[in-house]
Amino acid sequence: MLNKLLKHELKATARLLIPLYLILLFFTIMDRIVLHLDIFKGVLSLIPGLITIGYVLSIVAIVVVTAILMIMRFYKNLFTDEGYLMFTLPVKSYHHINSKLIVAILWTVVSIIAVIGSIFIVAATPENLKAFNEGLKMFWAELSGPSEDHRLTIFIELILMLFLSLINNILLIYLSIAIGQLLNGHKIIGAFASYIGITTVLQILATLLIFAASLIFKDIVEDVTFIRTTVFPVTILSLIILSVIYYFITDLIFKRKLNLE
Amino acid sequence: MKWELNSDRPVYVQLIEQIQAEIISGNYKPGDKLPSVRDLAAEATVNPNTMQKALSELERIGLLLTNRTSGRYITSDEQMIKKLKAESAKNQILEFIDKMHQLGFEPEETLNLFIEIVKSHKQD
Amino acid sequence: MNTILECKSLTKNFSNLTALSNVNLALERGRIIGLLGPNGSGKTTLIKLINGLLVPNSGEILIDGKQPGTETKKIVSYLPEKTYLPEWMRVSQAIEFFSDFYEDFDQKKAYEMLERLHLDSKKRLKTLSKGTKEKIQLILVMSRKADLYCLDEPIGGVDPAARDYILNTIISNYNENATVIISTHLIADIENILDEVVFIKDGLLTLHTSVDDIRTKEGKSVDTLFREVFRC
Repeated sequence: MLNKLLKHELKATARLLIPLYLILLFFTIMDRIVLHLDIFKGVLSLIPGLITIGYVLSIVAIVVVTAILMIMRFYKNLFTDEGYLMFTLPVKSYHHINSKLIVAILWTVVSIIAVIGSIFIVAATPENLKAFNEGLKMFWAELSGPSEDHRLTIFIELILMLFLSLINNILLIYLSIAIGQLLNGHKIIGAFASYIGITTVLQILATLLIFAASLIFKDIVEDVTFIRTTVFPVTILSLIILSVIYYFITDLIFKRKLNLE
Repeated sequence: MKWELNSDRPVYVQLIEQIQAEIISGNYKPGDKLPSVRDLAAEATVNPNTMQKALSELERIGLLLTNRTSGRYITSDEQMIKKLKAESAKNQILEFIDKMHQLGFEPEETLNLFIEIVKSHKQD
Repeated sequence: MNTILECKSLTKNFSNLTALSNVNLALERGRIIGLLGPNGSGKTTLIKLINGLLVPNSGEILIDGKQPGTETKKIVSYLPEKTYLPEWMRVSQAIEFFSDFYEDFDQKKAYEMLERLHLDSKKRLKTLSKGTKEKIQLILVMSRKADLYCLDEPIGGVDPAARDYILNTIISNYNENATVIISTHLIADIENILDEVVFIKDGLLTLHTSVDDIRTKEGKSVDTLFREVFRC
């Protein structure tokens, strides 16, 4: 049944995002052409500017729509009148989380690739690419310190952290929406309040933990390898633990505390 | 056909009466095939179970016949329909006499009055 | 097993009120049952409990012997009071949605009913009137060959022609072995199609009997009896 939920979730979201990707593609190609042609004189010189504005706007639209869609699909499809349809389907409640999460991750990744890819297409000149390459090298050098043996480990850790914080953030938004719907008449405000509340508490806890850790591990903090061997793994582990907690509380609310009006 | 059901008597009793009336008046002819229970129920906006109950009762007294493969039919026994007609007429008259009695007329008086009115009605 | 729905000491509280209190009820297959009571008496709460949208505080609810869950959702066809189909969908997409998720959904039947309404299945739901959307939902719900149909206020606020359409659709399409629960406060309109009635008042089950019994024993219509029982 997860497959069917995924299919319908994709349908419901693709109809909004695919057209935006096509618009971005159009402006990307146009912008690439006009920026590398030097033929616009007089009034015509406005054209490259206008196309660039369209290009930037289409990037903004993709970023905004991807983020809002992730939130709105979860809220509207599950906690407004549509919830009557979704929660009476013969599927396990956690499959709703799975399908929404998987599709949200998919579109986030596709949107990131689309935006970065399009920037490359528009901006790629031999000089730019060279500068980019050097920037990347410097970044690596900073991260891995004097030794180059652990570059792969650091790379994997970085990708994992990015991916896990994406999942973590989506699940936190889902949990906040699920908590918010418990409040009759204030569901959306409730969701915002839960999100702010949970992040604030976590911030305070994290600050305290880091402070405590800096006292305990005073001597080794100076060592660069500390980041690879301890800071990153601890971050990854806490992201996983938090995600699991968010997931299970959300499902528990689905099962025990649905509050459809 | 038109179904008129009031709400203070059991529906199946009223369905029986109305189907009988249709047969007596000749709207349903001897040997006619009846629509399915569902269709009849939908037409009268009644519960199919109730329609089934009414039809079973009509089957029991022999007005309807069921053929397992092809459905339900009005009986072809014209004698039986005539008998039903006579019985129905008798019931109407008994009811009439009863009502007149409530108004204070003895059966004799009722009969005289009845004849008088029928005569003057003819002259009109 | 001939009992399709069984409630045992079913109780549901919301923070400040008791919506259902110690309800005991057993419904058999093959009946059309009116769930009758004024607004706010607990009808919708009971229907939501049947559909697993709420969880009881105490007591038990069994559908075909099972607690509400994925298995019971396969055999219960539910029409809520809300228009619950996503607005962006075309009618044909809503039909596809139902046939994807419900094994007992008869797509052919749904299209036949749509045709009788002269409705173009290419249309998007947001372009249709509220009344038409409600008819489409009814068509979807009645195109399932379910064991239990739960129809929450299906005739609330519709004109007489639409009411006849709705009642006819229910009568001619429900699965013969199934039970239909119709919740309403408009009793006169539907009492001819009911086998049994269940009266709910302030969260309490006050009466469960057959319509013929009310008419033969009391010599009055269900509507009249209802007005007497629920007189303010």
